[in-house]
Amino acid sequence: MRNITLSQAVNEALAEEMRRDETVFIIGEDVAEAGTPFKVLSGLVEEFGTERVVDTPIAEPGFMGLAVGAALTGTRPVVDLMFGDFIYLIMDQLCNQAAKAYYMSGGKLNVPLVLRTNLGATRRSAAQHSQSLHALVAHIPGLKVAMPSSAYEAKGLMKTAIRDNNPVVIFEDKLMYNDKAPVPEEEFLIPFGEANVKREGSDITLIGTSSMVQVCEAAAEILAKEGIKAEVIDPRTIVPLDEAALLKSAKKTSRVIVVDEGHQSFGITGEIASRINEKAFYHLDAPALRMGAMDVPVPFSPALEDITVPTPEAVAENARKLMSGEMIHAA
Amino acid sequence: MPHEVIMPALGMAQDTGLIVSWFKSSGDAVKSGDALFEVETDKATMEVEAPADGYLTDVQAEAGAEVPVGNVIALISDSAEDSGTLAKAAPADTPSDTPAEAPAQATALPEGAGVIMPALGMAQDTGLIVAWHKSPGDAVASGDILFEVETDKSTMEVEAGQDGFVAALLAEAGEEAPVGDVIAIISADKPDAPVQRSIADAASPKAAAPQPAQDGDAEPGPADTAPAKAAAPKPAPAAKPRADGRILASPKARRLALEQGLDLNRLVEAGHPQPYHAADIEVLKSLPTAPAAGEAGVQSRRLTADLPSDGFAAFATWAADNAGLGDAAALLAGLAGASLGQDHAIVAIETFGQTRAFAVPAGPLGDITAADEGAAPDLTLRDLRLSQISTVALGAEDMPVLTLTRADDGLSITLECASHHLTASEATGLLSEFAGRMEHPLRHLL
Repeated sequence: MRNITLSQAVNEALAEEMRRDETVFIIGEDVAEAGTPFKVLSGLVEEFGTERVVDTPIAEPGFMGLAVGAALTGTRPVVDLMFGDFIYLIMDQLCNQAAKAYYMSGGKLNVPLVLRTNLGATRRSAAQHSQSLHALVAHIPGLKVAMPSSAYEAKGLMKTAIRDNNPVVIFEDKLMYNDKAPVPEEEFLIPFGEANVKREGSDITLIGTSSMVQVCEAAAEILAKEGIKAEVIDPRTIVPLDEAALLKSAKKTSRVIVVDEGHQSFGITGEIASRINEKAFYHLDAPALRMGAMDVPVPFSPALEDITVPTPEAVAENARKLMSGEMIHAA
Repeated sequence: MPHEVIMPALGMAQDTGLIVSWFKSSGDAVKSGDALFEVETDKATMEVEAPADGYLTDVQAEAGAEVPVGNVIALISDSAEDSGTLAKAAPADTPSDTPAEAPAQATALPEGAGVIMPALGMAQDTGLIVAWHKSPGDAVASGDILFEVETDKSTMEVEAGQDGFVAALLAEAGEEAPVGDVIAIISADKPDAPVQRSIADAASPKAAAPQPAQDGDAEPGPADTAPAKAAAPKPAPAAKPRADGRILASPKARRLALEQGLDLNRLVEAGHPQPYHAADIEVLKSLPTAPAAGEAGVQSRRLTADLPSDGFAAFATWAADNAGLGDAAALLAGLAGASLGQDHAIVAIETFGQTRAFAVPAGPLGDITAADEGAAPDLTLRDLRLSQISTVALGAEDMPVLTLTRADDGLSITLECASHHLTASEATGLLSEFAGRMEHPLRHLL
């Protein structure tokens, strides 16, 4: 199988879906001429023209509102939000309008919209361009949230998102755009709500999202050298969440660490750990642990920024503590 | 009946309050809720409201006076005249080295500084004592936590506030004490007879506070016997509110222990460090069942064999029909005795409390006879196949004991013995021999 970058994978997914369905169009800042700051969309405007790859002014609430309206009236917009941090600007359009139109209209209206945006720190972009805000939208009923962990997931989840009749938010990790992974040439879709067991293990379950899947895999490598067999699971979509797969693994290993790049407090690590503590309680030999980013604005200083997010070493260290039965929180 | 107006405790570490000004004068009619006076502490200035409707009387402290917390500084009476009852009880502007509470209880309570129930909230009338951290007679330092108090808002630890000894605890954990009431006394010297009692013990809940005698008698009465009686030391200190028997164990460890009929307490007794996890269940399983008390060095052994099928019932039927051996108990004794590998063995068979002893020679099962009376058995076989009991861990007895229990379609055989009965290899040998015989009796005979 060929290896392509995550950028190429997203580009392919968009191109394939735009060829398949002429109601699919892209809208956002710098999507046509510049091809986005991460060059994900290069070449699309040449193939599909400025009618379907629409450059907008720097006005997120405006083009998001426009896209929601377009979705309500029969098209399938893919909105390009340059930085995940800008999601604050479009909260009403996304959470009050797109997320609730189906419900408020008694099922008469659909919003088949994809919001493509990103997350991830350690890119030296400072506090306003480094946030991982997927928990904000995962909290809102009516929105689906996909978090690809490699080029393969990026392509398969994007194609599924475009075909979904509900609003879907896809968070790509900014640092992963140039990471290559095997992606089949032939068409494929990845269904939502199906977790992927990246690595089998019997001692501890590491649940990671987005780039934290790689962190978990690296941690599993470290642990394997010490004889600890870690299982690594990627939920792939956090809404819907493949709870059954996570619980199955939790019951098998009886220890769980949930790793995510959002701030730890009130984040999705807490949600997932809670479900495991509630539903696999009598199978747990240790409390399910959360590992998120520090509860601080992401620092600009590289030395500081790097220590705000979970690392393989930190995950491995917590795994060792759980394995040894050491109580992390005093009784 | 007059209501007391006391100097309230507005802060945690407050001993006295400064009366900034009076809003009412002696003899004024007041309504419950009217601001009576303004008090200043190190932290704040607050207005204090009248606790009841009536007339302000017996004002003991003027504006500018510093009054110990808990002291009665006025009364709200039914008439405008002073009753005069407070003259001795609450001298205005006295330094607080001898709290005003002490005189009232002088006959009953040890000397010392009173510790009051503090006001932790603005609208708090009482505080629930969650726990005492010191016992009567204990030495305390000023910063030691004396007790824990719970209000509708929070639970807080309260410090002793002075060095000394706990001379009296006047309320028990679980009781509510009115804010400002003295609930403990700390004495400078070690008390001879520290007092412990509850609020409920005291006939009058306000007994600890200086109280104007209701009939106008200014003398705090020795006739008021209830507090004195209550103040008598209790015969034994109240039992600690339940020795904390909680075991720290993971949910999985608890589930495994429950499923396997194991008792986590035995890990505690063995000194195995908590918290317990699934791996510790293995340790629990390997613990000797019941340590033989008083016999140092004697270990008990407990081994279990599980057989998928019970071959014995069919064998007993076969033996009765074909060999004329109709006594199943004798057959069991024979199989057990043969497993011992001795030339001659006395085997006791226990079924539902009845014991029959058999002499088992090496040789055919037909040679088994009832043992002489009084012959000490070499082995006991306890047959619980027809009971509901599924596991046994009864501990070593005077001789090795094999116990048969039912397990689904098969059998479970438990061998219990002391280390001096059988070595570890003898024990495993006996059990596997016997298990083999019970599973395939004929194979071992042929």
